[in-house]
Amino acid sequence: MIMADDKDVLRDVWFGRIPACFTLSPDETTEREAEPYYLLLPRVSYLTLVTDKVKKHFLKVMKAEDVEEMWFEHEGTPLKWHYPIGVLFDLHASNSALPWNITVHFKNFPEQDLLHCSTNSVIEAHFMSCIKEADALKHKGQVINDMQKKDHKQLWMGLQNDKFDQFWAMNRKLMEYPTEEGGFRYIPFRIYQTMSDRPFIQTLFRPVSSEGQALTLGDLLKELFPAAIEDEPKKFQVMIHGIEPLLETPIQWLSEHLSHPDNFLHISIIPAPSD
Amino acid sequence: MMTGERKPASCFLDEKTFRLCCRLFLQHSESIQDGWIWEQIKGSDEGFMKKTVLIPVKSSLLDKQHESIQAENTELPTDDFEADAEDETAGVDAVCESHAVLRYEYHVLYSCSYQIPVLYFRASALDGRSLSLEEVWSNVHPNYRQRLKQEPWDTLTQQEHPLLGQPFFMLHPCRTEEFMKPALELAHAQNRKVNYIVSWLSVVGPVVGLDVPLSFSTAVSAPD
Repeated sequence: MIMADDKDVLRDVWFGRIPACFTLSPDETTEREAEPYYLLLPRVSYLTLVTDKVKKHFLKVMKAEDVEEMWFEHEGTPLKWHYPIGVLFDLHASNSALPWNITVHFKNFPEQDLLHCSTNSVIEAHFMSCIKEADALKHKGQVINDMQKKDHKQLWMGLQNDKFDQFWAMNRKLMEYPTEEGGFRYIPFRIYQTMSDRPFIQTLFRPVSSEGQALTLGDLLKELFPAAIEDEPKKFQVMIHGIEPLLETPIQWLSEHLSHPDNFLHISIIPAPSD
Repeated sequence: MMTGERKPASCFLDEKTFRLCCRLFLQHSESIQDGWIWEQIKGSDEGFMKKTVLIPVKSSLLDKQHESIQAENTELPTDDFEADAEDETAGVDAVCESHAVLRYEYHVLYSCSYQIPVLYFRASALDGRSLSLEEVWSNVHPNYRQRLKQEPWDTLTQQEHPLLGQPFFMLHPCRTEEFMKPALELAHAQNRKVNYIVSWLSVVGPVVGLDVPLSFSTAVSAPD
């Protein structure tokens, strides 16, 4: 259960920011030179939700007929808008110097890599779909199904408008569990790695062992990605919200406090930098 | 939903039973050459059922493609295509001749989160161009189209394929219990065993143009 002093962790996660520099692709046709656009990106939100200003900025130097759906790329990799911004950064750019350099495109949309995102309703649908899936794992879907439509809307509006209190007034219900259970039924998590063809690893994992012992991040990784916890030499970094939590951290606590607003614990595994 | 209501376990499918149902489904598919295969993810023990079909373009979509062709100044390859006379697609007029076909790829995956199967699919023209959600809708069975449009974002959405990482359309699984529960309870009352995949796919497949031949319901056995 969330204790008062852990609320600071929730706020720090919510207000996490990434400095980004958006540059128009040299392949785009412009009427005059396009200045880069600098923006602090909220880690917990989605690229297409927070980049209206970026689009307006570059449209000033482009003709309407040259503009199709905007998409983003970092060093040749299309950025999947449906991943939280912080996950994209941790995966693709966390070992590069800041700011995060993002290239903006308005044509040649990579159909085989990216989902289309024509309106904010598409983002909302994706976001709510993730919350429902997370609740199916935690509570067999009972909490989200018992909520009213306006409660769902409050979760979305809280994220869209970056309002911590509005969001958490509702989200705290999704983070509750019966005391006797010792935690959620299963932990909603996804493990991402750039070295695999597979987008992520997701499976069923209980927060408490059959003997009633709290399981840890290390236990999760030992079961699903043991290479990540081989210590000498250290080959991988395990990142959640841009930090490397201790492997001894209880997975239930991480799920309550370090989950994204979609209620998933997004874990990025990247090669450790060679010193 | 009533608070505290306990869901009967039979509404859900464990992964082992999912695999078994698929194996039985695939055996029958092979025997009638219906085209389903098991696609294994290399380096993993996970996989999914897959089927690819060519579908003649309906007139409304053909019109859109025509406009699209003019707008893009590109020429689509055209082939004469004769619809299979045995096509049992209910409610969809058989098209004897058409100037284009669409390639639909259907995947049946197991969702460990919902503990049920989920239908993913993608559609493309023969030139490789992917279809948009609106274009896909025009191929949805008319009986379902109106319902889908009433709440479009919640029912049929573009999603990342969880095993391939590519954009696919997904029929959202949140309604599965709604129709599987009565079917399973009825079978239970009649002391019949049900192949979950056959029953489930018979309901959701036609929504997006995927037919399940009737013989599946009689010839495919249920796991014990």
